[in-house]
Amino acid sequence: MNLISKILPPENVILDTDSTSKKRIFERVGILFENTQQIARSQVFDSLFAREKLGSTGLGQGVAIPHGRIKNMRDAVAAFVKSQAPIPFDAPDGQPVNLIFVLLVPERATDMHLQLLGELAQMFSDKSFREKLQASNDPAVIHQLFANWKA
Amino acid sequence: MKILILGAGQVGSTVAESLVSEANDITIVDTDAEKLRLLQDRFDLRTLAGNASHPSVLEKAGIADADMLLAVTQSDEVNMVACKLAASLYNTPTRIARIRAADYLGHPEIFNTDNFCVDFSICPEQIMTDYIRKLIEFPEALQVLEFADGRVSLVAVKAFEGGPLVGNPLSYMGKHMPHIDARVAAIFRQDRPIIPEGGTVIKAGDEIFFIAATENIRAVLKAMRRMDKPARRVMIMGGGNIGRRLALSLERDYQVKIVDRNKKVCEQLAGELKHTLVLCGDCTDENLLASEHVADVDVFCALTNDDENNIMSALLAKREGANKVIALINRSAYVGLVQGGKIDIALSPAHVTIGSLLAYVRQGDVAVVHSLRRGAAEALELVAHGDRQSSKVVGRRIDEIDLPKGATIGAIVRDGKVMMGHRQTLIESDDHVIVFVINKQMIRKVEKLFQVALGFI
Repeated sequence: MNLISKILPPENVILDTDSTSKKRIFERVGILFENTQQIARSQVFDSLFAREKLGSTGLGQGVAIPHGRIKNMRDAVAAFVKSQAPIPFDAPDGQPVNLIFVLLVPERATDMHLQLLGELAQMFSDKSFREKLQASNDPAVIHQLFANWKA
Repeated sequence: MKILILGAGQVGSTVAESLVSEANDITIVDTDAEKLRLLQDRFDLRTLAGNASHPSVLEKAGIADADMLLAVTQSDEVNMVACKLAASLYNTPTRIARIRAADYLGHPEIFNTDNFCVDFSICPEQIMTDYIRKLIEFPEALQVLEFADGRVSLVAVKAFEGGPLVGNPLSYMGKHMPHIDARVAAIFRQDRPIIPEGGTVIKAGDEIFFIAATENIRAVLKAMRRMDKPARRVMIMGGGNIGRRLALSLERDYQVKIVDRNKKVCEQLAGELKHTLVLCGDCTDENLLASEHVADVDVFCALTNDDENNIMSALLAKREGANKVIALINRSAYVGLVQGGKIDIALSPAHVTIGSLLAYVRQGDVAVVHSLRRGAAEALELVAHGDRQSSKVVGRRIDEIDLPKGATIGAIVRDGKVMMGHRQTLIESDDHVIVFVINKQMIRKVEKLFQVALGFI
């Protein structure tokens, strides 16, 4: 099992059909984390926006990996949103994104968290992996793709 | 970024104009459809006519998707209500309001999240007042701008024939004043920028921008120009928002006279100002100027709300012998025409104040933005974050940083200490870096340079 699948519960993989902006996506994941992990939605929202202000987390090729630190959290947790509409994200290639992997880490980030980001970057630079994500609209299948991914 | 601007007046339209070119998605709301039509003809933005504090209007303008709300209508109340609604109904992340009334500004708790939810308030009149006050404190400067909570200043001066530096290369500056660390950030010769190098020879008429620790700027000015005598007598034309504030700010330290043609305004001013002589009269009346000894005035400020009157009265005052004359000019086209001729300084309120808004709008951790030369150049204070891996500036010497040609690092403030930017200076995380950019086109590149990479958590 890779590092990512350990922090991505199946219920945190969602398809989004109505968000058209970064702000709406962040609101949506705020609610998701509030329901599944009991983290206040405003905390998630503010943390993601604060990080985005320092530099875009858009990776290019339709992918973004927004992340933020959360106070009083014990272990890192993630969510994946596939949006129907392309979302402007100020990515380096100038293209909007629709594969959005959200990572929340405890206030004191460690090497472990850098490794997580590294693995994510590696995962999403895999073209066939991206194509499989784009091809599926079933959250359970998408979760499996994450669980089965190997470097 | 998706930005919603409320109010298409001076402030709203200038900020829209400056943001449109920076890959933002902008919607502007105003009650005046004609104003909006003019804006839409000139720029690539969306407009909507309606009352800016009505939820239905905000929704139509796309507030639910907006990253930022700039509430800059003429009305403080509309701006405050819009911020409140943006926070409680639409969860808008950043809310900025223009607030004019000193009464509101005197109670900062009004703006917190329990009340009107204004993240940042700006008061253009106060910014103008502070700006003009600096010009009176330093009569030899064309511009004095501050960074890092006032620790660093950027000063623009005109080199004149016979001045100590004219005819000498820049490297001479170090020898001429060995104890003072200052950097020349840019030189403008006949409105064209020159990238300063050690061998650059200063000519009369050059506009020189230099950066130094604020405590040193008097000494640098002295070395660059024969020191003008400090100002004592100030005459202000126009008792409006700016004139009144300026008189209030100056009257303890200077001899101030203020002139307004409206009798009611004068009575109010006389009640409010304790040490200022209030006169009722027309600001272009040369008899009035003469009888009030305008020839002995050190700084003459024409600050009425009428551009033509300000220009005329400043010209008259100059001819009558006022030492330095300043005119407030709203129409930007006039500013370029007038500045540097008989009128020493032409001030455009929109350009002076826009920087305070741009700092919030820019990507990256931007602490201060000053728009220079009517928007053509800019000076920024950026905060560096991250490490050698996640940042393109941290852990690098200044000469290793991939700055576009024409952008210079003037100074660095680390833990409250000011250091001048030298080639070997190593940038650390949390440094406040002051960058001078001679051409607006490079700003985005400079901003990108200071943004952290994906690997920054």
